[in-house]
Order: sequence, then structure tokens, then C-alpha cells
Amino acid sequence: MRPIIKVENLCKQYRINRHKETSTHNDTLRESLVSAVRRPINRLMGNGHSSKETLWALDNVSFEVQPGEVLGIIGPNGAGKSTLLEVLSRIVEPSSGYVELYGRVGSLLEIGTGFHPDLTGRENVYLNGAVLGMTRKEITARFDEIVAFSGVERFLETAVKRYSSGMYVRLAFSVAAHLNPEILIIDEVLAVGDSDFQKKCFEKMGEVIKSGRTVLLVTHSMHTIIDLCQNAILMKNGVLVKSGPAEEVVNYYYSISDASKPL
Amino acid sequence: MSSTSYDTSADTSTSVGPESVEAAAPARATTYSLPLKPVITIRPSKPWAPLKLRSLWAYRELLYFLIWRDIKVRYKQTLLGATWAVIQPLTMMLIFAYFFGLLARLPTEGVPSGLFYYAGMSLWTFFSGAALSGANSLIGNTNLITKVYFPRLIIPSAAVLAGVVDLVITSVLIFPLLAYYGLSVSWRLLLLVPISGLITMLALAMGILFSALNTKYRDVRYALPFLLQVWMFISPVIYPASMVPREWRWLFSLNPLAGIIGGYRASLFGQPIHWGALAYSILFTIMALSVAAYTFRRMEKSFAEVL
Repeated sequence: MRPIIKVENLCKQYRINRHKETSTHNDTLRESLVSAVRRPINRLMGNGHSSKETLWALDNVSFEVQPGEVLGIIGPNGAGKSTLLEVLSRIVEPSSGYVELYGRVGSLLEIGTGFHPDLTGRENVYLNGAVLGMTRKEITARFDEIVAFSGVERFLETAVKRYSSGMYVRLAFSVAAHLNPEILIIDEVLAVGDSDFQKKCFEKMGEVIKSGRTVLLVTHSMHTIIDLCQNAILMKNGVLVKSGPAEEVVNYYYSISDASKPL
Repeated sequence: MSSTSYDTSADTSTSVGPESVEAAAPARATTYSLPLKPVITIRPSKPWAPLKLRSLWAYRELLYFLIWRDIKVRYKQTLLGATWAVIQPLTMMLIFAYFFGLLARLPTEGVPSGLFYYAGMSLWTFFSGAALSGANSLIGNTNLITKVYFPRLIIPSAAVLAGVVDLVITSVLIFPLLAYYGLSVSWRLLLLVPISGLITMLALAMGILFSALNTKYRDVRYALPFLLQVWMFISPVIYPASMVPREWRWLFSLNPLAGIIGGYRASLFGQPIHWGALAYSILFTIMALSVAAYTFRRMEKSFAEVL
């Protein structure tokens, strides 16, 4: 059996500023010029890396996913789960290691990505669909289905900024749920809307997942992991700690963390 | 990539129940046959990565949608809509005609001054507007960049190309103006199309380059409007090239916009065209686009982290 996803020694290193308030985010040209002068001097003095600390968000992570497998990814906050999804979604580049994907990838790291408040519901379905990687033909073919699922038919020609937040989220989820790639990467976007719609979402996700697609799912809900996933991996501090059948990994996670079993 | 079909409804096809999974898992049916080679390989990119123009082509629909979004959004909730594209150069034309034509009596090479300024201003308004919105496009689309993958080059390209609509509108309005001033219409007007294309490419180069720099150095937001203002005054927007003293002509001609705006006016008003200046502008634009694209490509991988 050949895997559909192969992750090999994947590492992602971030450099974080420890002392100064200013992070690399808001580098100004001046700071950059100053540090360009300072860096070689610092290096000569032997304290070149004193102000920056490296953080391994992913530390030699390797695993394989079989076609049709639903893999849950669990771990405490800051374990590197989101970084892993970001690398797999090609949003950030790994520092070393590689990933091979034997199929098209759809990523749902957030719902409603690319929604524009001034555009109408109809326009946003097309825009959001295109952003998520659907072709115009695919969107048109699934348009009625998407709208019917969301239940906002009456407001299709209304700008989404006039939507209630529930309506907004429902429309956004509907577009996402009708994506059709071979590999689906999902980051805790399941629980949206009121409890009725949440149930609908959960059913829809189950349906999508059971349709034979390969799914990677990050969630903090152990219920979801056990219900939907066959296998799971546990991450901690960027390291893959344990992998195996979902229930086993979840139980192991409980055994090493203080968290009492909330099930 | 598109040849790999995926059918969720077929239950009768070859079942590839993964052996590695525990027995309790339901058998899964799929017609998706794994390709021999990975569809996508992710690894750290080399410092001089290729431009991957082909992947840009694969995402042309997204480019189209983003252009469409930018145009739609621009005039939403406005009373006058796209008329604004015309009002700006038209007002500037009247003001310039008054100040420089009537008061300062600047020469306009025998062309009615209103028309002269209109031609210059419609090109310039497009160029500066497109370059500026291109430069701010990555920052304005942070939510897309940090959440989905697509060739990032699409974002500044869409922002710049969305401005072309305005250029088309203002250019079309030149014809009634020509008629009003009683100027003849000739086949040479067709030259306006490639020249407009050229200035679009130059704006694209600026948009791409500065959008990438802008992610890291927010100075761009303050520096670029200033740079553009200076650029306008060293370009023959409100004065003809012939006004520049002979000994400074070479310096003046280093500006790629000199050839473009000069060529645009010349083909509009039936004056001799400086082919040399135009050729230089073409060369400059190609160089600028290459530099911009490679700079962008090199900085691209850190966008999601710095934004």
C-alpha cells in the first residue's frame, strides 16, 4: 500500500526575539540597516544569537497517511499542530525535510477565507470557492447545493456585512463543505453556528470524511477524534510523540497530561 | 493533475481499505488511483527558485476572480460608480488648463491644452493608482495569505490589472474630446493599445516589487506616494518633453515614462513618435518586471510569517 501523504523528517524553525519588544514583524528599513551593520560585529564578539532564540515548531516529524484514512492530530496548545497544517497547506515553507502529496489538497484552516463584506452572498460563494481552489464550473455545478445547505437562500443578493454572524458562518461553511479534493486538511472549523447547524455541520463532515477522502483533522475535541478518525498522532513541543489507533493515542494523551477525562 | 478523477459516488469500484488501519474501520471505496509521482512536493526552496509561471497559469481563474472582486468592491456603495474614474482626470484637466495653460502659459506643442493635460493625467492617474494599490495589496489580503495556498504573485497582479478598467474608460472618453476639439482620428490611434499595455506592465512591475518589500518594510507605505509624486513631476505629464533643456534631455529620457507618455501623446495627436525612447521604455519595463518577479519570488516564502 502506497501512502497518499508522506511526511519525512519535517522541521520548521522560527526565530523569536527574546529581549526587544520589536519582533521581526515590524522591521523598519532603519532597523534593518542598523542590524545589518550590527550583526557582523555581534558575531565577531561571539554573541551573535543572544537576542534571537530559535523555536522548533516542528522537530523531525515523519509519518505516512494511507488513502482514505482519517487522521486526527492532537496535542496541547503550541505543540506544532497548526504549523504542521500550514506546511502541508503550503502556506509556510519547512526549514528542512519534505512532504509528498499524491493528490490535490484542500485546506480549511479557517472558514470564510476571502469573504468580502461588501459583496453579496452569491458573489462571495464564487469568490470563496475560487480561493479554496474550485473552478468556476465546479462552483456553478454545486451552487444550489451550497446555498440549500446554508439556508440563506433569501439573502443571496444581500451584502454579507448585513448578515447575522450565524448566517455568515453557515454560508462560509457550506462552501467549504462542498470542496472536493482528494486530501482535505481541516483545522477545528467544525463547530460553527447554533446548535442545530452545528449538528448539521458535524453530520456533513462525517459524510465528507466517510466518502473515502483522506482527511487530516486538528481538533481539541477528543470526542470528534474518536468518532471520526481511525488513527491519530499526538504532538508535543514540535515532536511527534505517539501515533496509532485514535483511541489509543487519545488515552495516552490523557495519561500524560493532567487534564481529567472530560468525556 | 486534472486527469486524476475522483468519484465519491462509486461504491462498486476497487476498494483500497488501508491495511494499516484497525479492522474496525469501515472498508472505504474510492476510485482514486494514486499517481506514481507526487502531485505536490513540499521542501525548502532554493535561494534562486524558478518563477513557476506555469503554476500561475493554473490559477488564472483565481486571478480573474480577484480582479473581478477588486473592480466590484471599488465602486460599491457609491452614487456615481465608475463615473469617478472619469471625474478625476477631467477635473485635473480643467485645473491644469487653467493654471498652466491660461495663467502660466506653458506650451503644449500646438495641441489644445485641455486635451494635452487630459491625455497625460489619464495615463498618470492610472499608473500611480495601479502601482499604489498593487503595493498595498499583500498587506490588504493578509487573511488570504495566512490561510490558503496559491501563487502569491496573483495578488499584486490582480490589484494592478483591476485598474486597467479605469484606464479603458478614460481612454474611450478621449474620442469625444478629440471630436470636440476638431482633431482628426487616424489609424495611429491603434498604437494607444500597445502603449497602454506597456504602461500597465510597468505599473505591474512596480506593484509586484513594492508589495513584496511592503510586507517586510512598512516604510513603503509612506515612501511610495512620495516617490510617485516626484516621479510625476519628472515625467512629461503636465509639460511636453520639448520643454526640457537640451543638455538635460538625456537625464530626462532615463525615465521610462518619458517615452511612454510621449509616445501616447504623439500617436494621439499625430506627432512624430520617438521610437528610440519607446524601445528604451520597453527594455526598461522588461528588466523591471524580471527584477520585481525575482525579488517577489525570493521574499514570497516568508510572507505568511511576516504578515
